[in-house]
Amino acid sequence: MQDKQFMRETLVDGAKAFKEGRLNRRGFLTLCAMTGFASAASFPGGAEAAADYIVMWNWGGQSEECHGGAIGKPHEAAGGLPLRFDTSGPLQGKIKEMVDSGNVTADVCDADLFDAVALGPTGHLEPIDYNVVSKDKTLPNYALEHGVSIILYGYAFVYDTEAYGDNPPNSWADFFDTAKFPGKRSLYKWANGSLEAALMADGVDKDALYPLDMDRALNKIKGMKNDSLYWGSGAEAHSMCVNGEVSMGMVWQNRGRNIEEDTEGRYKLVMNQALAMPGAYIVPKGNPAGREEIMKFIAQAQDPDAQLQLLDCLGMTPSNPAAFDNIPEGQQPYAITSAMNIDGVAFNDPTWWGENGGDAVNAFLEAIS
Amino acid sequence: MNAIRKSLHPGWLLVAPFLLLVIALYLGPILNILWLSVTDPEPGMGNYRKLFVSDSLLRIFWTTIRICLITTVGSVLLGYSIAYAMVHCHQKQKSYMLTLLLVSFWISILVRTFSWLMLLGHRGLVNNALEGMGVISEPIAFMRNELGVLIGMIHYMIPYAVLPLLVNMQSLDMRVMDASRNLGASGQQTFMRVYLPLTLPGIVASSLLIFILSLGFYVTPAVLGGGKVLMIAEYISVQLLVTLKWGTAAMLAGLMLFGVLAMLYIMSRFMKLSAVFGGSA
Repeated sequence: MQDKQFMRETLVDGAKAFKEGRLNRRGFLTLCAMTGFASAASFPGGAEAAADYIVMWNWGGQSEECHGGAIGKPHEAAGGLPLRFDTSGPLQGKIKEMVDSGNVTADVCDADLFDAVALGPTGHLEPIDYNVVSKDKTLPNYALEHGVSIILYGYAFVYDTEAYGDNPPNSWADFFDTAKFPGKRSLYKWANGSLEAALMADGVDKDALYPLDMDRALNKIKGMKNDSLYWGSGAEAHSMCVNGEVSMGMVWQNRGRNIEEDTEGRYKLVMNQALAMPGAYIVPKGNPAGREEIMKFIAQAQDPDAQLQLLDCLGMTPSNPAAFDNIPEGQQPYAITSAMNIDGVAFNDPTWWGENGGDAVNAFLEAIS
Repeated sequence: MNAIRKSLHPGWLLVAPFLLLVIALYLGPILNILWLSVTDPEPGMGNYRKLFVSDSLLRIFWTTIRICLITTVGSVLLGYSIAYAMVHCHQKQKSYMLTLLLVSFWISILVRTFSWLMLLGHRGLVNNALEGMGVISEPIAFMRNELGVLIGMIHYMIPYAVLPLLVNMQSLDMRVMDASRNLGASGQQTFMRVYLPLTLPGIVASSLLIFILSLGFYVTPAVLGGGKVLMIAEYISVQLLVTLKWGTAAMLAGLMLFGVLAMLYIMSRFMKLSAVFGGSA
């Protein structure tokens, strides 16, 4: 790890020197060879942040081609910088470490809106410029000082149709009722969504969840502990359902569609009481491409067409109300903000999570382990 | 000047650059971590006080130590029999066995962990076969619990047990065992009273190695434990990456470090560690 970091830094310095003319082309290429920089894909973050690109720090997978097509291309066509990716996953700790070390290599993080609340006040993020980015092009509570929601993802559940036949579960109360609906369950390991689901199952109204009553939620979760598995990644949640390990599984709602397809309809997604999570773009303090450029990029991502493309490509739901009416027929059952789902959905409070998330995650981990 | 030259062996000058590097690149960051544990989020011993306030931290420690101990015993037992078989079989078979051992040693931990899910998972090979034969009606829960973690960890650690034991067993003078038999001891007595004591340094070396390596295990418990087996390494990583409690993480990391050092110190009181690690006693 340290080696890689060192190589990356060497290369970034080299790239800067090359750009400023202090290093000739041959010297730069030698340096690239020395540090083992074989292709543009090896160290996207470091090298390209210096070489006039926008670097999006995300979670990899399909999101590269999807974000590239939906936001990167139109942004470049409008005269902006081209888009590149660092796919190592912008966890809060990594963003903090990057900014603290003074070696910022990412311009925009595809993160959670609660990250903006957690890292903004400590000076790790650039504030969003709402002269360029529009507060009206996202849901009302999801345009915060240090981050703005672009897409929504959600925690919903799938159930085994063969296990529950004629009387299928339809709410978190059913999900937590192992007497009426016997079988194993799976929940998200890092507390998000799991706590809210437990409270809704315990009778808390979906619009009155926050501040979360932790004791009440953890009691509900402990009560089902012997019948529960906990997943840490989308792939794990997926395989727990597809392999029949659980009869009901909490999943990211866009995964729900894949599970339905992979089990040929045996598992079915329930969107009632799904928890909508605001995914957000946040900008590390001192990002290499500059604040002005990245704000234009974020404004581009608010465009309804870009958001509908992301929905088509990744199953991430638009947060811009102007796009809600144009959600295609086939995506209606799976999209959080589609006409058929939006009224049954609970909305996450990023401020509560940003301020209390750390303690909540620890309390949850202690309860399940 | 002359006095210094006399007391300082010139060899020190040769290793000085290396020593300086170690101090700068290894000791520096460690001190930084320890510093963090008494300064983040606020100066004081608050992070260490958590150990006495929250029983959950103690529980995580206990889970970690329990799993590491069982892993150590399990893999040393299995490793001992493998090493014993390797030393005493034909040279050709021995090289086959060594090749197999090294191949599994080199395979990535992720691959080895996920293979267990394929084999022993809910719809894995074993459960499917048993169900197909009508032996069981419900799949057996081998994985996604503590048993799964132990299977995965012991399997991963076996090569680490075999290699030190193999070196130790190969260096034994087999004539000692012959002498024991010649003096009338049974095979069992020879093994218990001569062979086993002679291989004790190997057992201690592999046990220490495995216990210390297991303490830092992260991937296997996370994948095979179904979220319910929380070990200290995973907890530290969560504190660093998700909850931003770097002080707690540093405190736990420091405790692990001193725990291991203390263990080595106690061991050194009872035996020469240099013998354990292959140096001359």
